[in-house]
Amino acid sequence: MIQHLLHISHVSKHFGGNVAVSDVSFSVEEEQIFGLIGPNGAGKTTLFNCITGYFPATSGDVIFDTKKINALRPDEVCKLGMARTWQRVKPLGSLTVLENVMVGAFSVTNIAKEAEANAKEQLQMVGLNDYATKSAGSLPIGLKKKLELARVLATRPKMLLLDEICGGLNHTETDTILDIIRGIRKKGATIIFIEHDMKAVTSICDRIVVLNSGEKLAEGTPGEITTNPDVIAAYLGGGHNA
Amino acid sequence: MKQIAFLSVLAAGAVLLPLVIGENPYVIGILISMLMMAALSSAWNILGGYAGQYSFGHAAYFGAGAYTTMILVTLYNLNPLFCIAVGIVVASIIALITGSIVFRLRGHYFGLASIAVAEVVRLSVLNFNFTGGAQGILLTDVALWNLDLNSKIPFYYGMLLVLVVTLSITAYLRRSKTGYYLQAIREDQDAAASLGINIYFYKNKALLLSAALTSVLGSLYGLYIRFIDTSAVLDLRLSIEIILTAIIGGVGTLWGPVIGALLLVPLAEMLRSNLIGDMLIKAGLVSETSGVGLFLKGSLANAHVLVYGIITVLCILYLPKGILGLFRRKK
Repeated sequence: MIQHLLHISHVSKHFGGNVAVSDVSFSVEEEQIFGLIGPNGAGKTTLFNCITGYFPATSGDVIFDTKKINALRPDEVCKLGMARTWQRVKPLGSLTVLENVMVGAFSVTNIAKEAEANAKEQLQMVGLNDYATKSAGSLPIGLKKKLELARVLATRPKMLLLDEICGGLNHTETDTILDIIRGIRKKGATIIFIEHDMKAVTSICDRIVVLNSGEKLAEGTPGEITTNPDVIAAYLGGGHNA
Repeated sequence: MKQIAFLSVLAAGAVLLPLVIGENPYVIGILISMLMMAALSSAWNILGGYAGQYSFGHAAYFGAGAYTTMILVTLYNLNPLFCIAVGIVVASIIALITGSIVFRLRGHYFGLASIAVAEVVRLSVLNFNFTGGAQGILLTDVALWNLDLNSKIPFYYGMLLVLVVTLSITAYLRRSKTGYYLQAIREDQDAAASLGINIYFYKNKALLLSAALTSVLGSLYGLYIRFIDTSAVLDLRLSIEIILTAIIGGVGTLWGPVIGALLLVPLAEMLRSNLIGDMLIKAGLVSETSGVGLFLKGSLANAHVLVYGIITVLCILYLPKGILGLFRRKK
């Protein structure tokens, strides 16, 4: 039997009368890189927020590692081994880069020395070791994205939810991040990946779900998704014939 | 190593200071005020500076310690140290009730609610009988071991001890998991939560620690002055002075509150005792009967809070990181 690490079952999220996510279901297998794509406002980030405990889902279930996590707080979700990054990066501005990553590392240890060793390892992994003593707020965006990655890696997650980790980066930077993500998967983590850059998504994902206006539009391999007429219509507008 | 040597000299100096200046009660009194404000502001700094939760009601915890100790000592003549411990418990209970409710909210609600809680405590104390109401509590005699509690010296060392303990806790916290977590909460709550930090727990932990230390200082103050009423230990003005001391010295730094107190307490004393006005008049720079002279002698003495205010505005405009920020190079 295939091991489902994350199972999303009929999840909906309403904000008043506004339906942000409507009856979305999918499953993510272990060590998969799973893409979540869709036009702006499709509900991708809202779905992330439902999964990670920031907004509880209005209905439906989120099952992680055989545990129902709908009603858990973000910090409890993190402790279970699911970590997320933010589309709008959230560096702890007045702390140094190393200290930022140490904060993540403290979720698996109480000892400052161990947290520091873990943090240095993650900085090495994403290539930020030269910036360890710099203040996190002063980094350029590309490095802030790497810092986000290092910080969540320090929590030693089983599953990573990356919200537009390549957003705002140039091609070289995107390629570096994608290489880092492949490296993370090789170490046994599972990844869900929200992204706009189709080239990035199709080059790295094993499986993709497309959201549109809060609903699941399609699911399949990158090959299936890029040739799916509904997906093309959603991205290019309904008037086009693919 | 240099730092440790410097600190040792500083500590030795503070311990020996009363021997050098002798039993001058006026000077010792000002030193005690300085130590107390430094410790109060440092205790506030754990919550306000590191966790970023600005409490505008720390007088409640100061008053909780002062009233608990004074009531127990005057009514039951219990050992003062035991009374201080009970004061910690009372302050902690108030802190836990406040924190568990208010920390569920975000933004500035904690600041607003902390004022409300402090006012509730003040008005309750003012209207209960066992607290002495508006009359306050007068302590005629108190004894501990063989200490001469009529002298100010034991209180100098008491305040110094609490300051050293508070600074040691802060220094330890900065390099510990809790300290990093508090700073993460200050910088970005959502990011902090996503990294596995239980925000409510850590905010409450900081509040509890801060309130407990503050209550000890309140207890000492009561035993030292031997008279308390709500305007002395539960007033909003006290809460504000604590905050201003930290802001002017440097919020979220170990030494900022101490520097703030070293500067502001003597300044307030100079204004209160009209030192500046008297000096200007004596030097013949200002005539005693002129308008300026009358202002200096009459009104300026009541203006130390106004001067605090002006300094704060200047600090916010020109030294947003406090006086200590001047000496720190930007990373």
